[in-house]
Amino acid sequence: MAEEEDDPGFDEDLDDGGNGVDSGQGKRKRLFSKELRCMMYGFGDDQNPYTESVDILEDLVIEFITEMTHKAMSIGRQGRVQVEDIVFLIRKDPRKFARVKDLLTMNEELKKARKAFDEANYGS
Amino acid sequence: MADPARVKPVARVSEAPVPAERPKQGEGSGDAPGSSGKVSEPAAVQTTAKEQGKARSAEDAAAAAAAGDEEEGSSSLHPPPAKKLKVEHDKKKEKRQKVDEDEIQKMQVLVSSFSEEQLNRYEMYRRAAFPKAAIKRLIQSITGSSVSQNVVIAMSGIAKVFAGEIVEEALDVCEKWGDTPPLQPKHMREAVRRLKSREQIPNSKHKKILFH
Repeated sequence: MAEEEDDPGFDEDLDDGGNGVDSGQGKRKRLFSKELRCMMYGFGDDQNPYTESVDILEDLVIEFITEMTHKAMSIGRQGRVQVEDIVFLIRKDPRKFARVKDLLTMNEELKKARKAFDEANYGS
Repeated sequence: MADPARVKPVARVSEAPVPAERPKQGEGSGDAPGSSGKVSEPAAVQTTAKEQGKARSAEDAAAAAAAGDEEEGSSSLHPPPAKKLKVEHDKKKEKRQKVDEDEIQKMQVLVSSFSEEQLNRYEMYRRAAFPKAAIKRLIQSITGSSVSQNVVIAMSGIAKVFAGEIVEEALDVCEKWGDTPPLQPKHMREAVRRLKSREQIPNSKHKKILFH
């Protein structure tokens, strides 16, 4: 009954019961470990969250992004992911919708500000 | 940025001015101060914010309607409909800006009263983000074609909100089960199960059979 997932000598991927979301998803390197730790602390967890919890959250986030991408590819222009498709998919969820609107608006404002700043520099 | 105000607060200073502004909705606001425990208070603050939002939008509608009526009845030379709409839109924009400024001011007051630990946590909350390069690589590996920068920005933002929803739910579960943070995998899984039942987690793997 040994938990062999942590054994460094083992090369194969050991799935327990095939729960793709819960257990380690293959040998993919952890993409977001550092950022997710900071994020979990910011959202209310302990300053040092458990590694297993961070792993579970990373798998969930990657699955979420994958699902959204697949859905976005199937609507609007097929085979491509565009911002309008993402906004359409998220329209029912008020939090995410508001956040995307805010981010895109801020991005536009920043671009305008940078452009104005550059033009001012170029002129003087 | 209005986002932090909408997220469920970790430790919330009770906003004294808010209950005073709230119109009488008859929701038992009278007995709230005496009996509010720690659990009911955040809920009360949240419903207050929601009601305030509703009251504000009701106010907006009423003000716009009143302004429209006023202009029509005052003289025979009433402004054309297009100008009326523009004036209403400007008034709404002003009100929205004023609301934003109010919210910014309230946030400033709140943040200035944070303890050091709360400041650390708040800084992490604002600063933590997914690396754009990794997200871009992930999306491009799925689509097979390149994606624009806006897509990456939108997707990382949504992913962060998603992570926040899961952590919040897991903290609820943790508290309900009488455990303490750090969160354990069992809390995360129970949180996922709950969010799935509320359909907040997209799942296109389950094949729905229509007439079973």
